[in-house]
Amino acid sequence: MWAVAASRFVLQSCWTPTNLKFSLNRIQNLSQTACKNTVIVERCWKIPLSKEGKPPRLHPRRHRVYRLVDDTKHKPQDKMELILTQTVPKLGGRGDTVFVKKSLGRNKLLLQGLAVYPSQENKDMFAEEIRLLREGRPEDRVQTRTGQLTVEFLKKTHLEVPMHSSIQYSLTKEIVCRWFLRQLGVVVPTHALTLPEEPITGPGEYWCNVTVNGVDTVRVPMSVVPFVEPSQLLLMKKQEKQEQSDSE
Amino acid sequence: MPLHKYPPKIWEVLKLQKGIYARLPQHYLRSLQDTTPPTPVHWKPLGVKYRLSPKTGHRERVQDVPVPVYYPPESQSGLWGGEGWISGFRYAKDDKLSTRLRKTWKPQLFNRELYSEILDQKFTVTVTARTLDLIDAAFGFDFYILKQTPKQDLNSKFGMDLKRAMLLRLARKDTDLYPDDPSRREKVYNRYKQQFEIPEEEAEWVGLSLEEAVEKQRLLEKKDPEPLHHSLVKKLVEELTIKKLSEPQIVEKK
Repeated sequence: MWAVAASRFVLQSCWTPTNLKFSLNRIQNLSQTACKNTVIVERCWKIPLSKEGKPPRLHPRRHRVYRLVDDTKHKPQDKMELILTQTVPKLGGRGDTVFVKKSLGRNKLLLQGLAVYPSQENKDMFAEEIRLLREGRPEDRVQTRTGQLTVEFLKKTHLEVPMHSSIQYSLTKEIVCRWFLRQLGVVVPTHALTLPEEPITGPGEYWCNVTVNGVDTVRVPMSVVPFVEPSQLLLMKKQEKQEQSDSE
Repeated sequence: MPLHKYPPKIWEVLKLQKGIYARLPQHYLRSLQDTTPPTPVHWKPLGVKYRLSPKTGHRERVQDVPVPVYYPPESQSGLWGGEGWISGFRYAKDDKLSTRLRKTWKPQLFNRELYSEILDQKFTVTVTARTLDLIDAAFGFDFYILKQTPKQDLNSKFGMDLKRAMLLRLARKDTDLYPDDPSRREKVYNRYKQQFEIPEEEAEWVGLSLEEAVEKQRLLEKKDPEPLHHSLVKKLVEELTIKKLSEPQIVEKK
């Protein structure tokens, strides 16, 4: 009967002596979680130890003197994790997990519906969506944001493949991939690249097809030119400059 | 020298055992008896019974004594996330030999619009930064109200009212929610149904204060006295019909 606190004070009562026993259990469970954004105080005077099961005796004056331990308001705020539902400039595309400032997340992304919380349900949903994107039928696949950027970039480019003219060669996929990386900084796996049917054996203008994420195919113009040593290239450039200055 | 038959301390408890209080639903009375203390917010619990003393290195028994927090009436109409006022003293310059000064630490409050999916409504609520963090940790306002928090952690009448409204929505499953969009309604109901659905009779009593609960019970039991002539007239009519039926009917031959 004593354990039943006055119902009127259930909301108000923070602690009554009789439920110290319960409080221990609860505190032990929650001790790992940090308190955030609140004032944390401690008593300046140590409280004398009471007998087990009995409430400690508090000094009416001394034990109400507190020392401020911590005010988490002034601590640096950590970031919050969200999953984007749309393409957001400078952040990412749909399905990306991003870490953003709390103010940005709460006041813009969540408010405008650009992002959702990373709950298990949402995580599963987006994982399923990405899986479908990778493995689903070609009609269903949608290009990702970065994929679109890559396509835009590839449309504007022109590839130059220098080859030694002194030896007999026919251009292979590996060579073209290597020059994609060296000249444009684009990593093209061999299975994403298509070359013309007839073998390329001499210098001239050609083309190659690059498939991005298995969805969009871009035709990149490619010219095969005779290879020049880098040191020689420098010399040639110098000469050109001199000629230009001379003519002026 | 006993002054009362029962000590005044247990009067509140004894009150619940008789009269209309005793006729309140069992689940409501049980919820009143839940006296677990709230999560420590303004102080750091040690969380252990014994520890090695930092001075001597020997094992010693320690005790967690909570710092009393005052929850002003305004906290009941907002969501303060368990924060409140700590009123006490501090020492000037943190020096025990120096002056003792009165000090009240109060939380910083913000007004924020929070959207509830189940109620399909926005609420302008007074919150603290801790509440916002807790909402983020619970992955949404509805989850925070329904799941994260027992009564003593939510610590707000407004919050409990919201909880009751949400639980009633989930229990009734009516079409008031998103009347034009049945698929979305189904989705929302399914999301919360599994964890939080309780019968409607219980949901109606969640978060009521004792006064409200008593008033509710009184209205449920209330019956207007029926005027006596209603029943008497009914009785008379019955008697007359029986009498008339029992009389032999005389049919004249023409």
